[in-house]
Amino acid sequence: MAITGQGTSAGSDAAGAAAPPPQDLVNCTINGVAVSVPKGTRIIEAAEAAGIGIPYYCYHPGLSAPAMCRMCLVEIEGAPKLQPACVTVVGEGQSILTESAKARAAREGNLEFYLLNHPLDCPICDKAGECKLQDYTHAEGRKHGRVVEPKRVLNQDDFGGDVLYEGDRCIMCTRCVRFMREIAGNDALCVVQRGNRSVIDTFFDEGLDGDLWAGNIIDICPVGALLSKDFLHKARAWDLDRSPSICPNCSQGCNVYVDSRDNLIMRLRPRPNPEVNSYWMCEEGRLEYEWYNRANVPTGTIGMADTIGGGPNPTGRCERPMVRDAQGRLQAATWHDAVVALVQRLGGLRGENGVLAVASPAHANEDVALLHRLAQVLGGGDAVFRVRTAPSEVVCPGFPKLARRRELAANGRGLRAVGFRRVGDDAGAGGLDELTTAGKIILVLGDALADVPETFGADAALFVYLGSEPGPAVRNADFILPVTNFVEQEGTFTNFEGRVQRFWPALEPPPLARPAWQVLGVVLAGLDDGPAPADAASAFLRAAELYEAFGGLSYEVIGGRGALLNEPVQLGAGAAEGA
Amino acid sequence: MAIGVKVMKRPVGTTSYLRATLKGMALTFRHLVRPQKVTLQYPEVKPELAPRWRGTHRMAVHADGRPKCVACGLCPTICPSNCIRLVPGEDDQGNRYPIVYEIDEFRCIFCGMCQEVCPVEAIHVGQDYENSEFTRERFIYDLDRLMAQDHPLAALWDPEDPASQ
Repeated sequence: MAITGQGTSAGSDAAGAAAPPPQDLVNCTINGVAVSVPKGTRIIEAAEAAGIGIPYYCYHPGLSAPAMCRMCLVEIEGAPKLQPACVTVVGEGQSILTESAKARAAREGNLEFYLLNHPLDCPICDKAGECKLQDYTHAEGRKHGRVVEPKRVLNQDDFGGDVLYEGDRCIMCTRCVRFMREIAGNDALCVVQRGNRSVIDTFFDEGLDGDLWAGNIIDICPVGALLSKDFLHKARAWDLDRSPSICPNCSQGCNVYVDSRDNLIMRLRPRPNPEVNSYWMCEEGRLEYEWYNRANVPTGTIGMADTIGGGPNPTGRCERPMVRDAQGRLQAATWHDAVVALVQRLGGLRGENGVLAVASPAHANEDVALLHRLAQVLGGGDAVFRVRTAPSEVVCPGFPKLARRRELAANGRGLRAVGFRRVGDDAGAGGLDELTTAGKIILVLGDALADVPETFGADAALFVYLGSEPGPAVRNADFILPVTNFVEQEGTFTNFEGRVQRFWPALEPPPLARPAWQVLGVVLAGLDDGPAPADAASAFLRAAELYEAFGGLSYEVIGGRGALLNEPVQLGAGAAEGA
Repeated sequence: MAIGVKVMKRPVGTTSYLRATLKGMALTFRHLVRPQKVTLQYPEVKPELAPRWRGTHRMAVHADGRPKCVACGLCPTICPSNCIRLVPGEDDQGNRYPIVYEIDEFRCIFCGMCQEVCPVEAIHVGQDYENSEFTRERFIYDLDRLMAQDHPLAALWDPEDPASQ
């Protein structure tokens, strides 16, 4: 486990993973490789541990194994018949052969059966490139089919939700049926007919509409039978750049891969993490990616000047640093000039009337920690954030750790950990009217201020806006500094239970946008508060020095699975409600 | 001290230019009487191209005028000069088809791999070399232009024996 050597406090649920209870080990050899595994391990898992791949379709580590695809048949010396590796438990002293002539012949024969009715329409199939049927047939299948009879032809079926069913391509592994029954808790799919005629179907008119977890069946389908309507024909699997990230749409913090092409997000897929989301994610997270997919106009052609001047700016994205000049007009400036001017202004106002810091819960721990620090250095004051909140949680029935949480943003917990408090209503609006701005320094990070009246900040001593998509109130800002959003930078989010998880950049930011931790770090260094962090890892270390909640954590400690904050874990409602 | 240069004594028959000059003139007069024609009267006369000669592209069309391309993405993947741009989409009948299909003929190296890899025999390199335009942009052929081409196709393989066996 990645969680070692840190002072995890009481209530850490990672403790279960620390020391596995002593178990009886079973010794066997797989293809001549000696393997020792705990008693009760299945052959397919033992082989995986030994680095030996066994082909399979119906087996999935998150689901039950019906042993119906017959692809994982292996030879066990002494056994009269081939055994399915996905349900057969390793026995003491067994010699297992996955590449023997018998096992290979069985797989080749199986693949020929799978292709009896398969349309072989790889050129128009979205799964091509990541299709197990394609891979295994290429590796071990026959070069030419021997079938002369016409193939069975079925129509495409709309299962509702985001799911399309292409019956011809289906190999009846029933992963989708088992997922809906075991994980989604909604027995909406079943196999109808038998043998050659069997198809997956929904019950009459009841489809997958409204099921929050149904999209996962598209990911677990080993072939192109279940297709995403959103991703349909959008990109080829081999063209996608895949970046590990964290879903930003609720405080669960599901681990995802961001699949992008041409600097545009094409789809999100869950990234397995047994502590957070297992192999799954919800539909809301999966399909709501357009709001952070904002690079779809040629960069460099559009700047903030167009927005402020009332001209068209299709993305609404800040692209250049802007500074208010002596005549009161916003002018584009270089980063150097903007930061030097900002440090001068802040130095003059330091400690006078206090600060109002407004942060967005879609910004990383590094960003918000340094923003809070800047507010403190300038004299302290209100540190608030606003977040959208759903009326209720939606728990995944088959994996109760996973839920669509009430708080519809990734980093509310991280904001609270450094001292921000929540204001505003459940729509993520309001709350700023009650706070006095007169004579104060206003620092806004990420919050678009979309609902805020245009007079906001007009009476402030200084209004600094760091963000990517400003609302109308931003026209009162004295400094507009374009920063990257989470999908364009490296950083960490803290999920509802206090698990700090890393994410990596997936898209290229606009050329002049900088990560907020970098901008804030330079400004802090200008105010003689520590050295400017050179990268996200040192920005996080800075946050860990400054804020006890992150104490002892670093990118190495967090690793790929995340690590818990140094504070009592508030599970459930407490964390979601917050202020 | 003078540099000693060795001077070979050779017969006049080999050192005189007269013999070589006469030989050359003989060839010239021979061609004057019996000329070997290598110059073509282009553009009135055009050269005969080898069957595998590869020039600018052409997109095959169905009988109803739709392009045969199914936007599978193999040609932009295999293209070594990265000159094909493809955006796949769905047409009104639910078929996968290219919304954007562009070939930059200036970048193209006419290797013919796009034709070889195409699973539906839609894109072809053709026997066409007479390309001149006033702007570079005109050499980015879009789908309509590729479909409108009517020059003969390059025969990269024998249709009777595609694997050359």
